[in-house]
Amino acid sequence: MNTITAPAIEYLQLAPLLIVFGAGILGVLVEAFAPRYLRRAMHIPLTLLSLAGAFALVIVQTIKGVPTKPSAMGAVAVDGPTLFIWGTILVLAFISLLLLNDEDHFVPAASAVPGSAEEERALIEGNVHTEVYPLALFAIGGMLLFPASNDLLIMFVALEVMSLPLYLLCGLARRRRLLSQESAMKYFLLGAFSSAFFLYGTALLYGYAGSVDLAKISTALSANVGQDALLFTGAALLGVGLLFKIGAAPFQAWKPDVYQGAPTPVTALMASGTLVAAFGALLRVFWVAIGELDWDWSPIMWGVAILTMVVGAILAITQTDIKRMLAYSSIAHAGFLLVGVVAIGDAKQNATALAAILFYLAVYGIASIGAFAIVTMVRDAGGEAWHLSRWAGLGKRSPKLAGLFAFFLLAFAGIPLTSGFFGKYAVFQAAVAGGAVQLVVVGVVASAVAAFFYVRVIVLMFFNDPAPDGPTVVLPSWGTASVVGFAALATVVLGVFPQPVLDLAQSAAGSLFVR
Amino acid sequence: MEPAEILSNPGGAIGVGWLMIVLPLLGAAVLLLGGRRTDKWGHYFGVLMALASFVVAALVFFQLLGFAPGERRRGVSLYEFIPGVADMGLLIDPLSVSFALLITGVGSLIHIYSIGYMSHDHDRRRFFAYLNLFVAAMLLLVLADNYVALFVGWEGVGLASYLLIGFWQFKPTAATAAKKAFVVNRVGDFGLLVAIFIMFTSFGSVAFGEVFAKAGAESQGTITAIGLLLLLGACGKSAQLPLQSWLLDAMEGPTPVSALIHAATMVTAGVYLVVRSGAAFFPGEGTASLVVTIVGVATLLAGAIIGTAKDDIKKALAGSTMSQIGYMMLAAGLGPVGYAFAIAHLISHGFFKANLFLGAGSVMHAMNDQVDMRKYGGLRKYLPITFITFFIGYLAIIGFPLLSGYFTKDGIIETTMEHNAILGWLAVVGAGITGFYMSRLVFMTFFGKARWDEGVKPHESPAVMTWPLILLAIGSVVLGAFLIVGNRLMIFLGPAVGRPEELPEFHAVSPVGLATLALVALGAAYAWLKYGRQEVPAVAPRGSVLTTFARRDLYGDALNEALFMRPGQWLTRLAVWFDNRGIDGLVNGLAAGIGGTSGRLRRIQTGYVRSYALSIFVGAAILAGAWFVVGTL
Amino acid sequence: MHVVYPAVVAALLFSIGVYGVLARRNTILVLMSVELMLNAVNLNLVTFDVWLRDQLHGGQVLTLFVIVIAAAEVGIGLAIVLAVFRNRQSIDLDRLRDLFEPPNSSDPDGSQPAATKVTTGVGPE
Repeated sequence: MNTITAPAIEYLQLAPLLIVFGAGILGVLVEAFAPRYLRRAMHIPLTLLSLAGAFALVIVQTIKGVPTKPSAMGAVAVDGPTLFIWGTILVLAFISLLLLNDEDHFVPAASAVPGSAEEERALIEGNVHTEVYPLALFAIGGMLLFPASNDLLIMFVALEVMSLPLYLLCGLARRRRLLSQESAMKYFLLGAFSSAFFLYGTALLYGYAGSVDLAKISTALSANVGQDALLFTGAALLGVGLLFKIGAAPFQAWKPDVYQGAPTPVTALMASGTLVAAFGALLRVFWVAIGELDWDWSPIMWGVAILTMVVGAILAITQTDIKRMLAYSSIAHAGFLLVGVVAIGDAKQNATALAAILFYLAVYGIASIGAFAIVTMVRDAGGEAWHLSRWAGLGKRSPKLAGLFAFFLLAFAGIPLTSGFFGKYAVFQAAVAGGAVQLVVVGVVASAVAAFFYVRVIVLMFFNDPAPDGPTVVLPSWGTASVVGFAALATVVLGVFPQPVLDLAQSAAGSLFVR
Repeated sequence: MEPAEILSNPGGAIGVGWLMIVLPLLGAAVLLLGGRRTDKWGHYFGVLMALASFVVAALVFFQLLGFAPGERRRGVSLYEFIPGVADMGLLIDPLSVSFALLITGVGSLIHIYSIGYMSHDHDRRRFFAYLNLFVAAMLLLVLADNYVALFVGWEGVGLASYLLIGFWQFKPTAATAAKKAFVVNRVGDFGLLVAIFIMFTSFGSVAFGEVFAKAGAESQGTITAIGLLLLLGACGKSAQLPLQSWLLDAMEGPTPVSALIHAATMVTAGVYLVVRSGAAFFPGEGTASLVVTIVGVATLLAGAIIGTAKDDIKKALAGSTMSQIGYMMLAAGLGPVGYAFAIAHLISHGFFKANLFLGAGSVMHAMNDQVDMRKYGGLRKYLPITFITFFIGYLAIIGFPLLSGYFTKDGIIETTMEHNAILGWLAVVGAGITGFYMSRLVFMTFFGKARWDEGVKPHESPAVMTWPLILLAIGSVVLGAFLIVGNRLMIFLGPAVGRPEELPEFHAVSPVGLATLALVALGAAYAWLKYGRQEVPAVAPRGSVLTTFARRDLYGDALNEALFMRPGQWLTRLAVWFDNRGIDGLVNGLAAGIGGTSGRLRRIQTGYVRSYALSIFVGAAILAGAWFVVGTL
Repeated sequence: MHVVYPAVVAALLFSIGVYGVLARRNTILVLMSVELMLNAVNLNLVTFDVWLRDQLHGGQVLTLFVIVIAAAEVGIGLAIVLAVFRNRQSIDLDRLRDLFEPPNSSDPDGSQPAATKVTTGVGPE
């Protein structure tokens, strides 16, 4: 009589999540109990090992076979796409953390006023905010949970677990502190604002379907219970929250400001990991929960995709700041990816489109971390040299670095023999197969415009004369060097021989999202 | 006769045909990544890889000979390159194998020669790495079974050529020449790229087999457009008018490079492209083929005229290369009846021109890198082996009876004559000019009095350099007869490119042949009068308008400057100005439109958080509103 | 009570919150307005929970989660506000605009954009 049924939780399937969150909590304990001088030495192996371990577990799960039903009483879906996204996020997070590892990106004492005696003391003592490691781990854990969440409650929790640490990380830049704090403030306020929309949408959908479970919302849709007002408003507001995270227009305004102000390694993490996670969640909501409704939302998504591509590509042209330019480039790429989201159709078509998006996300994430890693290496007296005019003639000073940067830019532009080409090609091909030809035409035109500003930077680097007091290129630490090396290598290999990863994405997408 | 079906991979040497490409690529990788550690043995390794590739090519060739003629086209698929569009694979057929043999054979000889030629260069290892890279890319170009892989090889040889022209970067002229070759080639590549895009959109594939099969059903307009775009690509790579200007400057590279890349192999890639695509796009009739023949004739005359005026021995030879490739293009434009002659001339030209270039290199080696022929003279006594081999090459190129050029060039001229008499006679005139400028070159270099600079003590080159010369000279003597008599090459190539039902007969004595010979003899005699008997002035005389015209490369550079460079510079300047000035001054043009939109749009990015929040709110309202509209429709 | 009443109240609360975010310049007040929006959501969730007679009380559970996370959010928000205030002695949102698109930033003479000139966060080099 006194027994209860314990919920069934598939611990092995959730293990990557648990490891990352567990390592985050351990990191907090390290902060609390370990002496200051030991903390960094403890954090680095803890963080990297946990990510590597989680990655290994993802591989184990993939080899063991993809689960065909949601785990943890239907709360978390560890399906083919999730496993691919997890693998991608973990790789991206690992290399972002190598970048983050260079201690001089972060402020010695966040609460101290720049130039104050307090800060001087912190500097002399060699303090560093080692909290960045657990913060990053929590953010990464959130990124893993976000695309895997199978009901809106978990999705909201994941959204906040992912975002809150990032708000803080944005404000911790060592140099240009005011910009950094401003970016944190903007990101925080707008993020909170948009998640309020997300929640309101959740509440309305809950009112419509009587559940926050994605599968049950879908069932309610087929049953056609009426109450269309709740449904439409709810779905639209939910969409606002998700589109905000991927930076789709007209919700893109935060991206350039935040990307510019945040410490560059954090920007790299956001530009890659957050984008991948948010796209996973977006796909899950739109294809699983309201997939039945695609006749309604696909015209709207058309509009958003077109607007995003156009705004991203056009605004990037007049940018004079390298990080802002990369931010707009990220917006444009979000638009290209949305083209794939629209390419919904029957199961086979969905698998093709999903595989294309997954592949695109992976290659774009890697290339953008590589590009931001190079941004961290070009420095002026006041910190990183952001203004494009400072990059003039870099090709003559340090041809290798400029060459690599040019290579990443070409990958963004989607030039053949770089990974970006296949990403774009796969997504556009899927969209054509899905009947979105006009959208692809806009996409191709936007890519051409985008190619213009990438090439402009390359021309600037290689054909202009360097300024006499030009920026210096710092000797990269082993971490930064390996990040750049890995990103370049992956971009080449995936450009010449994309088949294995494409196959992987295809087999991951083949099972589609579980319900 | 139509080309044969492409059959499956028979295994054996053909099955591992990819080794031809991979071995030199491995050589390049080892030499480039190995760095200074490989300095000691790097050049031998490079030679070994080239030779190994030659051995594989020979094995493939003999295996191919073992099949019946109709079964000599073999597809070897390697891996899926772009899913659903192109599988990476090799097409082993008589055409590609002929090229592979030429590339690896002549390539190996030039590798060996370079050991001696580059022995004083402390960057010899890097040189061999680039040479290996070139061989690999060129083999990919000719062995690929689809246009995308061909394009990759095409770009690869362009890259290798760029690296090798600029190999002596400390010479500003070399760096400029490398840049020029790069830029001019991009114009051609653009044509090729667009052609590939059109093929893909029209036929849904870029594989040779599928494209050729579907081309028959396509509208004539599309076929012509693709043909002309392919021709543009071919013109860029093969230095045909109007994209010829880079080749003369490319002579800034080390001489073995000029011999291998800018005479024997890479510049013939255009001919390969035309012949390979011939079955579908250049059938010998129609606009595209006609344009090919016109370009060929125009270039063969222009190259010959440039050759007459150059005092730089390598540039004179470069003009000659242009001219000879013009002959090949001409033949390739004639359709199936001309393909075999184009390829025969290409192969024999590969031998005698490599021979001539390496001979010129040997002369330069002896003369302290002097290239001005006015500073040569009387060298035949001092460089006997070089002289004899060079003289054989000379006789071969002017078409002296029974040597290579006699058979192959005469074949082209006679076939053209049957096709179009005007073009035919122009080709005859070209042959006459060839007789003149090549004789001039030989007389100025090896005959007459010594006009050397002080302190020059000519000496014969080491054996490692002379042996390749001897081998190439032998090729220059026998190859033409071997390939042409009995239509050996035409029958061999038949399954790959098609051939006329009726095989042409070779006439040892024909009116056209006699006329050609007479003109050549006249040219040579005139050269003897001007440069053999008379004293050659050490400084070039002013000369007539025509001479100046020729010396200036027929104003090719000026034309290019007006046509390509100015707009290019203008574009660059626009970009820079755009960069500096922003967008306010620009009034029209698409770029300005976009830039202006950008400038206006960015004003929404005010920096005020609250206005961002407003944009989110408005966006949400629009989204929900639109949803209602769409949902209730 | 008809379900529309609490739903409309929630919508009104949400709208007031939105208005507050858009109209207020004081960062703390903006934060409070966001809280108001979240509370509107809570009211909605509880209403629907009761209306639907949800056996699992999904709405109420979600409400609890929202309350907890909102608390965390405010904590982090106030920390950021405090840091900004320490550096600027102001919490006026409209003065937080060093990051923006400078209208004439394409000007070659301004080799450094305004945004980087005002920087005061100096670290060791």
